[in-house]
Amino acid sequence: MSGAFKSDEMRRAFDNRGDLVAYLRAQFPAAAARGGGFSAFRGGRRAALARLSGCDPGAYAASRNSLNGSVTRLSPYLRHGVIGLREVVDSLQKRHGGLVRARKLVQELAWRDYWRRVWARIGDGIWEDRETYKTGFHASHYTGELPRDVESSATGLACMDAFARELKETGYLHNHARMWLAAYLVHWRRVRWQAGARWFLSHLADGDAASNNLSWQWVASSFSSKPYFFNRENLETYTQGAYCRACPRRGWCEFEGTYPDLRRKLFPLLEPGA
Amino acid sequence: MSVVIWVHDECLNPEARVFREYPGAPAVFVWDDGAIENEQWTLKRIGFVYECLLELPVSILRGDVAEQFAGFAAGCGASRIVTSGFVNPRLARVAAALDGLEVLEEPPLVDLPADIDLRRFSRYWAKAEPLLFGRKA
Ligand SMILES: Cc1cc2nc3c(=O)[nH]c(=O)nc-3n(C[C@H](O)[C@H](O)[C@H](O)COP(=O)(O)OP(=O)(O)OC[C@H]3O[C@@H](n4cnc5c(N)ncnc54)[C@H](O)[C@@H]3O)c2cc1C
Repeated sequence: MSGAFKSDEMRRAFDNRGDLVAYLRAQFPAAAARGGGFSAFRGGRRAALARLSGCDPGAYAASRNSLNGSVTRLSPYLRHGVIGLREVVDSLQKRHGGLVRARKLVQELAWRDYWRRVWARIGDGIWEDRETYKTGFHASHYTGELPRDVESSATGLACMDAFARELKETGYLHNHARMWLAAYLVHWRRVRWQAGARWFLSHLADGDAASNNLSWQWVASSFSSKPYFFNRENLETYTQGAYCRACPRRGWCEFEGTYPDLRRKLFPLLEPGA
Repeated sequence: MSVVIWVHDECLNPEARVFREYPGAPAVFVWDDGAIENEQWTLKRIGFVYECLLELPVSILRGDVAEQFAGFAAGCGASRIVTSGFVNPRLARVAAALDGLEVLEEPPLVDLPADIDLRRFSRYWAKAEPLLFGRKA
């Protein structure tokens, strides 16, 4: 049917995943140089439905903030429309006879819907600051370059180095790790959110300008009323100490301190208590 | 009137409306070489999308999307084009170059007026929450 175009069509038959990845490496050498291999996700609807049937909304509500919590890992499938948000909610409702247990999960799914509605309205404006930063700094105080040590997992901070590695190797990061890494870049390293957002989009299997850029802006405070930041205790709690225990900077890292202390250090130009 | 389906990276679902409403229609996905470079995609994402494509009844091409698509559609003698809903302005630019495109939206998470207040999630949620939790299975 497609006549003259047949010869340009890409292959559809592969013996196995290794065969597929070798083909893709040859077809997309520049993309392979940026990050080869497969992500942590198998593509396709069958894999999406298998994940959906494994969702436990009760465990999700109780543990989603922990790096080892029961999160769904549905994001690459939702991002590429392999399954729909509505379909996920309908399936939860059917399986659990209602949405009582799934309240928290439904609210998180709604964040995706919300960001996409904003994107539909602002289009390419998604790359611009929605509002001014509420950090006491002007956008021009932030650098537009991603620091090399962060990108190459060489900061010496066990947590941030591990997150950067995981992002690049698997194409996925837990939501809390995304928040910490984004806050570290924007508030501790004073990097413009756009540089971090571009880096994430390049590697995430669920990379989506709506959820990504607007979450970065939420962390930065250009789409929220205050900047998001954290302290070491918070990170240690939700990672079960996995990074802090083995960190060469244990006891003297820049995340050490109470929230008011860190707030004074990170945002010295803000009014106290403002 | 023959129909051709344009498949894009926001709807890689074999059960999408485009496939249910036009079973057997020729369908094509075009890798956007420009976008892969602009957005610095890695092979990880390409591999994921490719595996999704292998579960869809589509031909896979690459290059300039509108141009490749037009060639494919002409080869099929198609007079109508259908596709799934999208938000990405990159896809909107391709869509603007395709004459006679019909968009079949997938069901939304929640039905809300187009002009709903989106200044903060809390405003959206105040409208969305009662609709979501009031709905019967
Ligand atoms: C800096 C930063 C960048 C991000 N970039 C992306 C991105 O490019 N693409 C993306 O899909 N999500 C992004 N998120 C949102 C969130 O981190 C991921 O959706 C989530 O971690 C995906 O894992 P999961 O499927 O296990 O999520 P779960 O917690 O199991 O949630 C289920 C689904 O709900 C949606 N969801 C949950 N939390 C959020 C949220 N905060 N915002 C939007 N949707 C949410 C996702 O579609 C997710 O798959 C980003 C968050 C931050 C802080």
